[in-house]
This record gives sequence, structure tokens and C-alpha cells, in this order.
Amino acid sequence: MAEARTQFAPQPSVLACRDLSVAYGSRIVFENVSLEICAGQWTAVVGPNGSGKSTLLRTLVGLTVPKSGTIHLQGRRLSSWPRRERARHLAWLAQTAAPTELTAAEVVALGRFAHGGWLAHREAEDDASMHRAMRATGSLAWAQRRLSTLSGGERQRVHLARVLAVEAPVLLLDEPTTHLDPPHQEDVARLLREQAHRFGVSVVSAIHDLSLALTADRLIVLGPSGVVGHGTIREALAGDWLSAAFCTRIDIVEHGGVHLWKPALASPNLGR
Amino acid sequence: MSALHHAAADLGTESLECGASRRLAIWLACCLGVTVLLTALSLLVGTTSLEDSLQWLIYPDAHSSVVLWQIRLPRAVGAWFAGALLGLAGAVAQGLFRNPLADPYLLGTASGAALGVTACLMAADASIGGLALMGQLGVTGAACVGACAATLLTVTLSRGVLQTASLLLSGIVTAFLLSAVTSLLLLTKPEIWREMQTFLLGSTSFISWSSATLLGTVLCICIVPAVLLSRGLDALTLGEDTAQSLGLSLPWLRLALLGIVALSTSTSVGQVGIVGFVGLIAPHLVRETISVNHRQLLIAAPLVGGVLLQAADLVSRFIIRPAELPVGAVTACVGGAYLVFLLWRRSRDG
Repeated sequence: MAEARTQFAPQPSVLACRDLSVAYGSRIVFENVSLEICAGQWTAVVGPNGSGKSTLLRTLVGLTVPKSGTIHLQGRRLSSWPRRERARHLAWLAQTAAPTELTAAEVVALGRFAHGGWLAHREAEDDASMHRAMRATGSLAWAQRRLSTLSGGERQRVHLARVLAVEAPVLLLDEPTTHLDPPHQEDVARLLREQAHRFGVSVVSAIHDLSLALTADRLIVLGPSGVVGHGTIREALAGDWLSAAFCTRIDIVEHGGVHLWKPALASPNLGR
Repeated sequence: MSALHHAAADLGTESLECGASRRLAIWLACCLGVTVLLTALSLLVGTTSLEDSLQWLIYPDAHSSVVLWQIRLPRAVGAWFAGALLGLAGAVAQGLFRNPLADPYLLGTASGAALGVTACLMAADASIGGLALMGQLGVTGAACVGACAATLLTVTLSRGVLQTASLLLSGIVTAFLLSAVTSLLLLTKPEIWREMQTFLLGSTSFISWSSATLLGTVLCICIVPAVLLSRGLDALTLGEDTAQSLGLSLPWLRLALLGIVALSTSTSVGQVGIVGFVGLIAPHLVRETISVNHRQLLIAAPLVGGVLLQAADLVSRFIIRPAELPVGAVTACVGGAYLVFLLWRRSRDG
């Protein structure tokens, strides 16, 4: 994929939002959030259930209209981007995918829609992009199988391949490791890091698994009352942002150069 | 072999497309073969005996030529086109609403057409002006106007096409509302009930060459944009948000697809009355038999719909000949039995 991605030179801020507030009716999800997503970095979004991780990603991709605030993609206001051009620059993975009778190859081919449009025939370049994406996610073997016949984890890898096939400079992924077994979660983490570091892609992913999230370059930590912090892993650990976000003690231990969450099994607190 | 060609081969898309195209070609050939056979049989079945019809075919005279080529043939051709329109509308509606139980009448078109016909018949009965209007519009015109008005009412009630769920609910509300108005009107004029029955139960007996030409033209007008928009329907199967994130304009897509459903359904209802189950069953038959994406479905479903309605028409004319059964009753029986079979098979397979 290197040859296809060399065009994306690292930029200081590829996606930025300022004073962003989102509400569903009278319920405010978060208020006055200002963030900058840098090129060539993998940013993990963590926080407790209902803290607005999915809403933040949906707002950044333009699916949820914010109550107030602005979003800029590559220095240009998000709402001013033509629809297909925006889809070529921002690829989004939903938390849950609707069931479909399409084959895996047909699903991944939809990722190329923004490049061709309604009347375009699939070109060899599209096939090459699909091939790279499916090989990267390990889903090439099921190219001809219907999605309804695949397991949840296999489907998730196909959808991830669809997002990669867009070859967008910004990937917004809502729980990309859902349904995956631990080795495949690790594969996805490696893949996201490779996308960021090797191809200069900005990856933003909501992740529940704290240990996995701590392998990212940066963290956006959301708490019940908005953003607790946004910075490097070192900054997050030093500031104990995770404990503040989850409103309970979160112990992180370092083992073999990686950070691991140590569950406090002695004092369960489900009511937090 | 180039690297890019190798990529396509690895994906299996070449063999996949070849296999799908071959299966679709076999379907097309089968459907066209059955259509030719049914059309030939349609020429033989009528108020005369099969032997007489055969004699007419072999030794035609002026009278038999009119019966065969001006009555029976346009009826068979028109029935095929009407069924094809319902099959197309059903496939589009099921894709648009992402619901395999969606049928072409979901937008309230059937109820609107019924109200249009009722209102027209009552107006003709009430005044000379109404009779003149009826003469100009005819039953088919009134049905068409009613179906179009019902679609507009559905879109207005849902405040545009921004929400699929609102459209669905508005369609149901419109259908119930217009059915209630029709029932009230029929209560005040029970004598037009008998005339209405032919329309409500569906009939191909009104089809002339001009009707068949209209149905065929509308089919051509609808099928081309439908196939062009098939990738949008494929994307919709992944969910509306995902489809939007892929770069699709959902309001425009919905509007175009609704237009196709409304035009094809109202034209069909206008010419053959309310024929149930064809639009629901035709896409199911295709999906159950060959695995397809929407491009293939939108080509195959009209063919199956055409064959279904033509076959139902033939059965309705044959079973109690020289009298006829309403074609809608035949499609309802066959369609209902098929749905029960599907349910039984699914419960058996767990």
C-alpha cells in the first residue's frame, strides 16, 4: 500500500474541532470539545459507556450535526466539502454493521464508491485497492462468501477492509476490534499502527480494551462530563486521566514495555 | 499476468462476476422461454374451446385475427409488462426500506387507486359533468391519478424523504386513511361495489395494445435508472449511516427510488387493478434461487414478475373457462402458499 499512500505527507493537524457541543434533544452528550488530530498518528478514544465516544466519531465524520462548534478537515470547514470528496478523505467504520446478503468482495467494493460514483465501472486500480485492504485484514480468503455466512469477527474484518479500501487520509473507527478474538485484536492494533506510521494516515478509533488503547500514540479520554484529556499515553498516565474518566481507580502496570490494565478484582463497583 | 489483474484474480471477483453473469443469463433465458410459451398458450385460452383456438391459429379469418392479435395477444403482453413493473417496484421497495416484506403498495398506491376509481364512478353516477370526466379519464386514468396522489400524500405526511422509517409509517397511515374513505364512499353508493370488484381483485381484461405499449414504455423508463442506482441499494444494506459515509446522498437516492416505485406501481395499478403478492414474491423467488446483488436482482425480478402475472392470468382464464377468475385472487393464492412454504422451510432449517 506504500505506493498508494506516499502522497499523504504528514501534516500538523488534519482534522480539528473547536468548541464542539452535541446534544440529543435536551440531553447534552458533550460540550465545548476542542481537539486536533495529527497526521500519521493513531489516536485511541476511551471512556465509560455513554460518555460519547461513538457520538464524537459520528460528529467528526459529519453524520451527527453538532449543536455548536466547528470542524475542519485539512484546514477546510467539513460542511463545505462536496459529499464524495469528503468520503474519499474520511472513512468511517460503524460500531455495528447491518446484516447483508452481499459477498465480502461486494462489501469491500462499496468502499470504492467515492472514487467512481454511480456510472463508473470498477477499474483495475479499484481491484488493487480492494486486494490490499482484504489482504491486510486477512479477509481475502472469504472474498466470494456472503457476509451472512461469516462469523461476527470475520464480518468485522471485512468491514475494516471496506474502510481501508477507501484509502482515505483519515480513518474514524468505532470499536474496530468488536467480535475479534485477542490475537486478531492484536492484528488490528498492528494494522492501525502501520497505517499511521508507514502510510501517514490519521487513525482515530474508539476502543473499549484499555490495554489495547494504551498501545496507540495518543489518547482522547472522555468522561461523564466531557473530555478529561487529550495527549500522549505518558501524559494520560501521568495525569491519571483514566481514573478520572471512569470515576474509579484504574491501575495501569508496565510489563515488557507495554502498559496493561490491572483489574481491581477485590472491590467490584458496578454502580460507578 | 499484471499485478492488478492478479489482484482481481485473488479476490475471486472475476470468477464471481463470471459465475453471477452466467447464472443471470440462464435465468434470463429461462424466463424468456417461459414467457414465449405462456404467450403462445394465452393465444389458445379464451371463451372458445382450445380446439377452436387452434383452428383459428392455423386457419385465421378476419374475426379470429381480431380475437387473437387484438384481444388475447395484447392482454398476454400487457400482463407480462404489468407483472414486470410490480416485480421491479417490489425489488426497489424491499431495498429502499431494507425490509424483505416490503411490497410496491407500501406507499399507499393501491388504496389511492381504489379511492380514485370509487370517486370517479360516483361522479359519473351523480352528474353529466362527472360522466364526461369518467369518459375522459376512464377507470385506468382514475386509478393512476389516485395512486400518484396517494404517493404525494405519503411523502407530504413524512415531511419529505429524509427518514425511511417516517416514509414507511406515512405509507401505512395513507393506506388506512384512503381505504377508510373508500369504504365510507361505498357505503353511501353500494350499487357501484360490483363495478369496483373487478378493479379491486385485479383484471387484465382491459388491456389493449395502447395499454401494453404504455406499460412497456414505463418499464423501460423505470428499469434503466433503477439498475443505475443499484449500488446505492447495495450500500443501503450496510445501514443508512454507512451508506452516507460512503458518499451517497440519501435524500436524492430515496427520492429517485420512490419515484421509480410510484411510477411503476401506479401505471400497473391503473392498467390491471390491484394485483397482490407479485411485487412481494418476485424478488424473493430470485433471491432464493440465485444469489444476487441489487444490479442482478433489478434485472431478474421484473422478468420473474412478468412470468408470474402472465401465468396467473392464464390460470385465471383457464380454470373455470369460459368464465374468468379475478387474476388478483390467483396471485394471492399462489403468493400466500409460497410465503407459507418459505416460513415452513425456514422453521425446518432453524
